[in-house]
Amino acid sequence: MTGSVVGHLIMKDWQIHRVPILVTMAAGAVALGIFQRGGETAFVVGSVWFFVALIVIASILPIFAIVNERKKQNLPLVMSLPVSTMQYTTAKLVSTVGMFLAPWLTLMIAALVLIEVRGILPHGTIPITLILLMLPLVGFCFIAGTALVGESEGWGTAATVVCNSSYGLVWYFMTKIPALMDTWKSPVAIWSPTAMAIFGGELAFLPLMLGLTFYLQSRKRDFI
Amino acid sequence: MTDFAIELSGVEKKYRFFSLDHIDLKVPQGQIMGLIGPNGAGKSTTIRILMGLVHQDSGDVRVLGHQMPAEQVAAKWDVGFASEDMRLYDSMTVGWHMSFIQSIFPGWDTAYAQLLLKRFGLRAEQKIKGLSHGQRVKATLLLVLARKPKLLVLDEPTTGLDPVARHEILRELTNVMADEGRSILFSSHNTQDVEQISDQITFIDRGRIIDSMDKELYLDRWRRLRLEVPLGIKLPVLPGIIDVIQDGRLAVATANAFDPDLAMAYESSGAHVHSVENMTLEEIFVANVEHSREEVGA
Repeated sequence: MTGSVVGHLIMKDWQIHRVPILVTMAAGAVALGIFQRGGETAFVVGSVWFFVALIVIASILPIFAIVNERKKQNLPLVMSLPVSTMQYTTAKLVSTVGMFLAPWLTLMIAALVLIEVRGILPHGTIPITLILLMLPLVGFCFIAGTALVGESEGWGTAATVVCNSSYGLVWYFMTKIPALMDTWKSPVAIWSPTAMAIFGGELAFLPLMLGLTFYLQSRKRDFI
Repeated sequence: MTDFAIELSGVEKKYRFFSLDHIDLKVPQGQIMGLIGPNGAGKSTTIRILMGLVHQDSGDVRVLGHQMPAEQVAAKWDVGFASEDMRLYDSMTVGWHMSFIQSIFPGWDTAYAQLLLKRFGLRAEQKIKGLSHGQRVKATLLLVLARKPKLLVLDEPTTGLDPVARHEILRELTNVMADEGRSILFSSHNTQDVEQISDQITFIDRGRIIDSMDKELYLDRWRRLRLEVPLGIKLPVLPGIIDVIQDGRLAVATANAFDPDLAMAYESSGAHVHSVENMTLEEIFVANVEHSREEVGA
């Protein structure tokens, strides 16, 4: 029965926070619509809007679903239900990661389809596109984990500021990596060892961050 | 099956500026226990410990026979918990909350929920953000009561409510107790509310249980004696008298274990007993806390 309570908590979050997910999907779709018109301006405006949509949802979802639940004193209601701290953590991570993955996966697939099928950009852009798309997911996991463990608006905001101010820097440094930039005009996707290492590092960060969140939550003695 | 809905033995919890000190508390099945204490006395910490939300440093906690916090999931199926700092989701309706809780608890009583909805003057389609404080408290209690829990743990549920709303809620809690198998732990600093519905009273202050017994016994044992003390007469120190305030020839003695022999003893000493007065629970509470603080300070 406890498993079903976790399921109900996940469903609850999806029902409460469905609007920002739908807005993100709509904003991302508009961005891709601009992007596929072709031309330099459309490319810049479309891609900026596209990433902004993902960065915004990566920032606000943990604040809405995790920080506000504690700040607005909904947490005692949830914890009055037959769930343990770890089951709450599981429900919260599954629901928030799921809510982020819904627009993220949809928009990522749409972007890849535009590159792969419609030929908007050379296939050589696929590795850098995937690496850049991973950044909001990495940032989201960092903010969500910090918000859950930190238990305060301050920690959630600090994590958001760190992430949002890092995206530009990371992108800048990526443009300085020849292994990424020299191959983007290629008609085929080239996964250089450097590209693989960066992408692998991003992927590895996800279970590391989620595992660390579970570990730190399991050590808590006072939850409310 | 244990005879007690709640058993706390030797529970301690230390914070930097506050600690719970060896809390022993037992709530028998089918009883309403009022937990009274001033702000910051440790009521909420005690309740959070027994709900498994805060882990005790030492001591044993059992709720409906389940060891806490280890077995909190099993215990919480049968415990309805509401606290003054518990809020429903602003953007959702009362009806959505009812569906949410109903989906979790198989024992949800739909007919009773509808009855409470009507009795509390709520509408299922109302969003929580549009409700007054009193309506929000009622909505929260509706969600707790319609689950039909064996044990209700209510942490200051009537705080901030107007007299009518308080009366409605207390009446509903009294109705709940028509089912004799159910128990309630009700914390408050409002002694009137506690006096109205409780069978047993526990006083807590500065992290310590200072007294715990049957409510009627409390009201029966505590008395105020108004005395006239002629010049040259010294009042004797009597067991059961915890405080004597004398101003000239008039004195007021407070008894926490009243016996008619006390009045006789004062008369024998040369004082005249003007009256023996019953005390309200609030007066007992204040006298008890002050006496306890004097003892600790001594």
